[in-house]
Amino acid sequence: MAEIREKGYHHWDGQLEEKRWNFWPITRTGIKLAFQRKYFKFVFSGAFLPAMVYAAGVYISERLEDFRFMAQGAERTFQVNPAFFKSYLSLDFLFFMIILLMALGGAGLIADDFRHKAVQLYFARPITKLDYLLGKAGVVVFFVGLLTLVPGLVLLILKLLFSGSFKFILDYPWIILSIIFYSLFLMTFFTAFVLLISSLSKNRRYVSVIIFAVYLLSDIVQGIFWVIFRSPYSALFSVKANLKQLASAIFLEKLPYTYPWYLSLLVLGSFCLVSFVVIKSKVRGVEVIR
Amino acid sequence: MSIELQNIYFSYGRVKALNGVSLSLGEGATGLLGPNGAGKTTLLKIMLGFLTPDEGEGRILGYDLRTQQRMIRKLVGYMPEDECFIPGMDAVTFTALMGELSGMPRQEAMKRAHEVLFYAGLGESRYRLIDSYSAGMKQRLKLAQALVHDPKLVFLDEPTSNLDPTGRQEILELIGEIASLKNIRVLISSHILADIESICDKVVIINKGEIAAVGRIEDLKMINYRLYELKIWGELNLFKRELEAAGCRVEETEDRVVKVYTPPEFDHRQIFLVAARNKIQVRQFIRSQTSLEDLFARVVGVD
Repeated sequence: MAEIREKGYHHWDGQLEEKRWNFWPITRTGIKLAFQRKYFKFVFSGAFLPAMVYAAGVYISERLEDFRFMAQGAERTFQVNPAFFKSYLSLDFLFFMIILLMALGGAGLIADDFRHKAVQLYFARPITKLDYLLGKAGVVVFFVGLLTLVPGLVLLILKLLFSGSFKFILDYPWIILSIIFYSLFLMTFFTAFVLLISSLSKNRRYVSVIIFAVYLLSDIVQGIFWVIFRSPYSALFSVKANLKQLASAIFLEKLPYTYPWYLSLLVLGSFCLVSFVVIKSKVRGVEVIR
Repeated sequence: MSIELQNIYFSYGRVKALNGVSLSLGEGATGLLGPNGAGKTTLLKIMLGFLTPDEGEGRILGYDLRTQQRMIRKLVGYMPEDECFIPGMDAVTFTALMGELSGMPRQEAMKRAHEVLFYAGLGESRYRLIDSYSAGMKQRLKLAQALVHDPKLVFLDEPTSNLDPTGRQEILELIGEIASLKNIRVLISSHILADIESICDKVVIINKGEIAAVGRIEDLKMINYRLYELKIWGELNLFKRELEAAGCRVEETEDRVVKVYTPPEFDHRQIFLVAARNKIQVRQFIRSQTSLEDLFARVVGVD
């Protein structure tokens, strides 16, 4: 029978726990809030379009005989090999959709907390700065992972299911690692990218614009340097080009640019490192003006 | 002791915010008073571990200020002065999140969030988006989130700001109830002296980063000074100068009442002797009941 209580304040009779995953409530809340944003669900659904097309491609590749009437001489087009997975994971449209999703749902991750002075509420709890940052990073990792790692592995499973054998895995035993490693890299990079920009402003709209601007401007800068110097190294200025160069290296494909792949890794890795340092210094429980 | 601080120093660059603060506070509700920039909020933030003191040691609820900040934050509830919230959330989800971050299991946090929101007077509007709350409702929400994990010690920074008189009275009653009936220690930082006087039995007055007075309000009123109200006829300036030279503080109010704050050891008959020497008629002489405002003015040295 329910207890009848007096009106007023009551002590809580439970025990506070030492949680190992202190960041999880922050991540869960961030994901929930992202879905509440206008147009987010629509864009999120649209972001799975390439995955669906590629899944259809896997199916068709295994049923070419059935589709011969539709696709004459399409054997090469519908060949599922490491290049197929690399192509999905470094698709321009996929990058664009990730950027769009992050502009809508990730821009306010830190910016909103700054604007509404919520950081002090988090840090008045027994959580560390790392817990807070992991919580925020978890939101980006969740969405980027859903668009890269999950479809990448699902496409691989579909390939195995439709072919009815493990021949593909035996031919390319490193493919799972490539998918996982490159997806993890994308998650890390986009997390650093979004959180860095989100921590630089209190206004989520500016952050959204800057996320887009940096991504697109990097391509424009690459174009300008290419026109001036005609050097393949100009691609080092482009976010997209560096990601594609790295994808080719990880999937053991021919590099799109003639410079060594590790330079792209160095550029993107340094960016992540610098972002982490900047974010760490920007996020404080209290604003101290010395 | 719930709070023990020894020689806490803290500077913002060249500006000294706290200058050797030592404190020892136990049960009940304590008011933290001081003029703007005295160091009240800095002191609260040091006790929460937001800022690390340049020098000094301290223990909050028995946990070390420098090395056991997580334990302190687990047991302490904090209601900030600023209007702060997470946009896009309703009050119950927000409060439950704060409980969960304090270490409560998720379902318990949600259940408790409902309870404290009802307690803070937001029961009916707990599913509304916080963004749509009025300033007073946000103030109540801040109190609810500070209480959600049933803290042993609560820091309230300007808890009644932005509230209308009725709302202010209600919040004061809630805080008073928490402090007096439920064995939660409360430290309230406020500019509103009447608020402190109505719910706190102890007070800490901080001025220019130093503790100016600390103790039970009643005791401080008695010990620190006595207040006499006089109506006089004659030239005030010489009379005033001589009393001030004897260690008193003299003020004249708008309705020409002269307030004389005397040190505890001061013999009030001296006032008559000084008046006689300066050819002043004392037409009224009352030993006045002192208020916290008088104490504050005396200690801090402002009107």
